[in-house]
Amino acid sequence: MNGAQYIVNALHQQGVTQVFGYPGGAIMPVYDALYDGGIPHLLCRHEQGAAMAAIGYARSTRQVGVCIATSGPGATNLITGLADAMLDSVPVVAITGQVGRDFIGTDAFQEIDVLGMSLSCTKHSFMVTDPDELGAVIAEAFQIARSGRPGPVLIDVPKDVQMALVEAKPVMHLVDETAPLCDLALAEARRLLAAASKPVLYVGGGVVLADAVDELRSFAAITGMPSVTTLKGIGTLDPDSPGFLGMLGMHGTKAANLAVQESDLLLVVGARFDDRVTGKLSAFAPHAKVIHLDVDAAELGKRRAVQVSLQADFKQVLPALAMPLQVAAWQDHCLTMRQQFAWRYDHPGDTIYAPLLLKQLSDSLPENTVVTSDVGQHQMWVAQHMQFDSPRNHISSSGLGTMGFGLPAAVGAKVARPQDEVVLVSGDGSFMMNVQELGTLRRAQLPVKMVLLDNQRLGMVRQWQELFFDGRFSETILTDNPDFVCMASAFGIPGETISRKEEVAPALARLLASPTAYLLHVSISADDNVWPLVPPGVANEHMLEAKP
Amino acid sequence: MKQHQVTIFAQPRPELLERVLRVVRHRGFQLSAINMAPQPDCQELRITVTVASERPIQLLQSQLAKLIDVLQVDTQALDVAPQEAFQIRA
Repeated sequence: MNGAQYIVNALHQQGVTQVFGYPGGAIMPVYDALYDGGIPHLLCRHEQGAAMAAIGYARSTRQVGVCIATSGPGATNLITGLADAMLDSVPVVAITGQVGRDFIGTDAFQEIDVLGMSLSCTKHSFMVTDPDELGAVIAEAFQIARSGRPGPVLIDVPKDVQMALVEAKPVMHLVDETAPLCDLALAEARRLLAAASKPVLYVGGGVVLADAVDELRSFAAITGMPSVTTLKGIGTLDPDSPGFLGMLGMHGTKAANLAVQESDLLLVVGARFDDRVTGKLSAFAPHAKVIHLDVDAAELGKRRAVQVSLQADFKQVLPALAMPLQVAAWQDHCLTMRQQFAWRYDHPGDTIYAPLLLKQLSDSLPENTVVTSDVGQHQMWVAQHMQFDSPRNHISSSGLGTMGFGLPAAVGAKVARPQDEVVLVSGDGSFMMNVQELGTLRRAQLPVKMVLLDNQRLGMVRQWQELFFDGRFSETILTDNPDFVCMASAFGIPGETISRKEEVAPALARLLASPTAYLLHVSISADDNVWPLVPPGVANEHMLEAKP
Repeated sequence: MKQHQVTIFAQPRPELLERVLRVVRHRGFQLSAINMAPQPDCQELRITVTVASERPIQLLQSQLAKLIDVLQVDTQALDVAPQEAFQIRA
């Protein structure tokens, strides 16, 4: 067999059952090998769409997402997707074609130094210069992508390597190693937990990556600790459990932020003190000692000094730390805050209030629905006002904040979980960034339900301009948006526009009842902002709840 | 700024030095000296860098240790920064 056939065979043996990609000159041998079948391939309409579909596929399941692109512009178009996977620790393997080995370094047609470009946006990367190394490289790439703190891995394969004869050696499967827990640190963590009177459990995206959602929920139930979550941690904790206070940080709930600011102990599980979480770092949880659990040693002590750090597998460490805590007064206080600061949905006038619409949508979704979102105001409203019973059901570009992420991520999620409903919530700015993927929905006949919240603005930037830049709305007014329903219809996707409150419930019913993809285009006011908001440079308790 | 000498033991790869230097720069450390002398048929490559930063050296050490090809990272504080030594002599 040749190198390209070997690659397809090796992907199959790694358990890959779906790839996303876009062909081109330097990857043609691989596409020729795919033509014989073996692994289903979905043609996206842009390499960035293929990368983000692979991310949606990976995040909605426990599988490694795989995307394929050609050299030069194909590879550069993947880069934003790889960076997104890097910042959100998503296991993705990207395979790029490269010009033949003799042409590398000659500025050949569609040649760019992809290995060089990959250094800052992948967990690791390879260029295969010897056809006989293909097997080892592919096995290592999958092991690196999914082990420890997961991340994207790129394999750059010159075209002549794809065409070279390769001996069909058995494909290797590498096994992860787990390190034993440190007894001293465990004992100190248990001592701090037992001594705390106002402990808070601060949960991030690392828990689902470690497949430790059950262990985390059990830990929260046994200890009775009030809990908060990051954007990526949404769905990890049971939203109905009494100690759950919601998302913390810049657009977090008042109860979550106040509890963290008052706490005397933070137990941080798979989170990294991101700047959007902490606000002014020196004033974040100022009275709290910190126990930090993470699989990535480089996160321990990176932004916040800690009393105890444990580089550990959560499936091991959480049961080892679980014990009932005597914190009834603190639990009562947090529950009171949760009730006192619960979301309110009263909104004057006839115009649609997006937070209320999203709550109505959330209440009417079938179990196990996947919701993907784009980036901006609607993304924060989804995080605030929709409820998720699993972190694999809330897929949002969190670390990189990539506009255009939602539609291709929904494509990947729907391909991965065809039996489950998949809903995209997007904004008019983000939707246009990868709108070509409507073509992918059509090609694969994927019944993705789309809710487009349209305020004819780049809303989050507009909000900041209103609050912090004297209302100078520089390049954020999009009153020249296209007719979105008309555009969807060009791809054979039905849709409708609504603009008044009483239209919401029947329109949501039509959206969810549609057997095909559907676009619900929702016209909302440009004046609605995301609240609360912690302004830049201040502590989280100083959140704004309305325009000052 | 504190100065440290960092010694990196790694599997030899053509792009290894680029990976190391990228991490040094991106994580906020200034490079003032570097030494790498690949040996033929050597299974392990050693790179020594001298860096300065306001940030704790552990931040760089842990990020370098995350590089897949890196096997070990040792750090050593340098008592006197070269610039200061130069000023004293002047």
